[in-house]
Amino acid sequence: MKIDQKKEVRVLLGNVAIARGIVEAGCQVVTSYPGTPSSEIIPAVVGFKKELGLNTYIEWSTNEKVAFDNALAASMAGKRAAVAMKQVGLNVASDSLLSSAYTGVIGGLVIISCDDPGPQSSQTEQDSRFLAMFAKVPVYDPSTPQEAKEMVKEAFKLSEKFQVPVLLRPTIRVSHAKQNVKLFPPEILDRPADFKKNPERWAATPRYRLILHAKLNKALQGIQERFEQDTKWNYEIRKKGSSALGIISCSASFAALMDIQEELNLKEPIDILKIGTPYPLPQKKVEEFIQKHQKVLVIEETDSVIEYQIIDKSKVLGRLTGHVPLESELVPDIIYDILADVLREMGLAELEKSADAKLDKLIENLELPVRRPTLCAGCPERAAFFAIKRALPRAIYPSDIGCYTLGLNLKAVDTVLDMGAGITLASGFYQAYHQDHKDIPIVATMGDSTFYHSGTASLLNAVYNRARFILVLLDNEITAMTGMQPTPGTGIMADGSRGRKVPLEALIKGCGVRWIKTIDPYEVKNFIKLLKEARKYTQSARGGIAVIIARHPCIIKYPEELEEYRIKVEINDECNGCNYCLDFFECPALLLNEEENRVEIDRKFCVDCGVCISACPRGAIIPVED
Amino acid sequence: MNVQIILAGIGGQGVLFSSRLFSELGLQLGLNVMGSETHGMSQRGGSVIAHLKLGQFQSPLVRRGTADILYSFEKNETYRTLKFLREGGLCFTNQESGEGFDNKVLSYLKKKNIAILAYDATAAALKSGSILATNIGLIGYSVGTGLVPFKHKDLTKVLELTSKKKNLALNLRAFELGFREGKLSQRS
Repeated sequence: MKIDQKKEVRVLLGNVAIARGIVEAGCQVVTSYPGTPSSEIIPAVVGFKKELGLNTYIEWSTNEKVAFDNALAASMAGKRAAVAMKQVGLNVASDSLLSSAYTGVIGGLVIISCDDPGPQSSQTEQDSRFLAMFAKVPVYDPSTPQEAKEMVKEAFKLSEKFQVPVLLRPTIRVSHAKQNVKLFPPEILDRPADFKKNPERWAATPRYRLILHAKLNKALQGIQERFEQDTKWNYEIRKKGSSALGIISCSASFAALMDIQEELNLKEPIDILKIGTPYPLPQKKVEEFIQKHQKVLVIEETDSVIEYQIIDKSKVLGRLTGHVPLESELVPDIIYDILADVLREMGLAELEKSADAKLDKLIENLELPVRRPTLCAGCPERAAFFAIKRALPRAIYPSDIGCYTLGLNLKAVDTVLDMGAGITLASGFYQAYHQDHKDIPIVATMGDSTFYHSGTASLLNAVYNRARFILVLLDNEITAMTGMQPTPGTGIMADGSRGRKVPLEALIKGCGVRWIKTIDPYEVKNFIKLLKEARKYTQSARGGIAVIIARHPCIIKYPEELEEYRIKVEINDECNGCNYCLDFFECPALLLNEEENRVEIDRKFCVDCGVCISACPRGAIIPVED
Repeated sequence: MNVQIILAGIGGQGVLFSSRLFSELGLQLGLNVMGSETHGMSQRGGSVIAHLKLGQFQSPLVRRGTADILYSFEKNETYRTLKFLREGGLCFTNQESGEGFDNKVLSYLKKKNIAILAYDATAAALKSGSILATNIGLIGYSVGTGLVPFKHKDLTKVLELTSKKKNLALNLRAFELGFREGKLSQRS
């Protein structure tokens, strides 16, 4: 095996640094389901595997629970394993998380759950550390990419020593931060798979579960003691003497706080207690720190895991006292303002507000156009949503998580709950109306990757319980939103090699659906016709659920596909500026020329897909004659 | 040296590449690099902003009112990100021909001693062969003015290290063109 022995420094994205930590720890199995801000971890592990000639097994799993269990099994067989996901993915894996905390691990198991305060790209601002605490799983909480990498390695050791899974919780500002990071050669662990049968542990019945629970509690005590002793991740920063105000902080908030303290150059620098292991909290360390100060401010993201664990809160300021906002990301501006308020309240310093209100007002007066996220020009999903809205304008449109959430802009998405809920809400709506003898059209939309993730159980249930609705599967043959990860439909595996293809058609048929049609959504007119047929099927005596697979590759991933279709369009004088195309087709390449009150094509964005020809009620968008 | 930079634009304008360029520059100069990027949903056609801090920093985010330099490749994104600049900060903005800046904003910035240095980097990029090099044109311009703490030789070296092979000649052309015009702008 060829191993790079020299130490070097590279600028790495936080997620790439985490991947490097996984590799350096000698971890042999890495699994994941993509989701912002965690998606870059797996491709980076693949990169390091190839660069270093390692034998790591890496998979894109079909969902987070599947990923979790696959990694867990490797750990039960004695190997080091890691599983990565975004914070809401941990909800999907939570059943396994809670149970495995009891049964424990053999080889180190590190769970990486990336939080998204803000949220930038998620449905909730939940704090993964709470879920870990709920599961009684210890947590490492890094502040920077470099620290994240080192913590991964430490987490493997802790997991092995105490035989429990360990969670690493980077927030988006760690995962998507970049920093110069020191690289070390990977540890090579010679650990052949060796699963030792032990039914009282691995197949524990409730009686044994009680024993396992007691063991877990004991392990947590040991871990807490270790965290008390630890000075690498939990330490005080004190410039001189002791300040009246102390701050307890962790994660990316700590890093921001350090920079702010540097800028402020206060006469009396604030003492800071950095906590890198928020659960189980090193209580003694925290209590000693609180005793030394008049007041202690807790600044942590996304929620108040440290603050809740503090036993005597009489001197503590934080979310529970209204000093820290209950929602949103703690960006440096907000942390600065929190600090300014507390310093003023305590009579320690007067700082200006972070915002320049006058500049804000001047910019606000400019009424800058708001750039909302939108489907790309030429996106096949836009064509599908346009057809759906045209064919069944009064339907209920349950949808799902992916680029196609942006079908909202075309008014063809009514609900976005969580992965797989496009189908479950559709069947739920059907049953709720059907009970009242009402027949309403329902068109659910879901992407290919989401369907592989959690669509089959939902569809199976809907078929079994005689629901009737139309399901349009938007099959762009990739997981586009999170950065073009392959799906079982492509049959390509995480490292680029060939797996076994699992076609959508076979799965849908397997769920018991009898009406399945496939169409290219670029054929808008035929698609509209097909949707009407599907509606009829859902209403017919022997009908049921109708599934249309709207198949057209993502044009960003497969730009060569456009060559086949290239239809250059222009807008003629029939355009009367009615805005129909802007409101219901919403392509970024269509612009309103307000002076002339007509729509124009922005050639910077247009990809010549020609789909908008169908989007003008006056027929003013026409192909250019060569 | 401690420098805080904001890079702003819209999807496809090379904000992330520019950020990589300065990260690599930091590494070459032996400085610590810390920065933050936008990925995921917010990338779909929206504003793209990158924060970059070279020197002794721990957080990847620039607090408002503290950035030394703002590079913006699109006018509206310039307005949106001006708030990051400190008093005495520099704003290099791409200004396509015919575009002007709001007078009220300009005179307010003047009071804060913030200079707006506008340059038609789109034209420079097109002259160099492709609109894709707009970002590099603007960066070249800034180095040419001599107002930023980056050297011509360091940036060309870093361009060679980070550019894709097929884009290298284009990037170097746009950089040189911007550099020359930046230099001229300070003479007149």
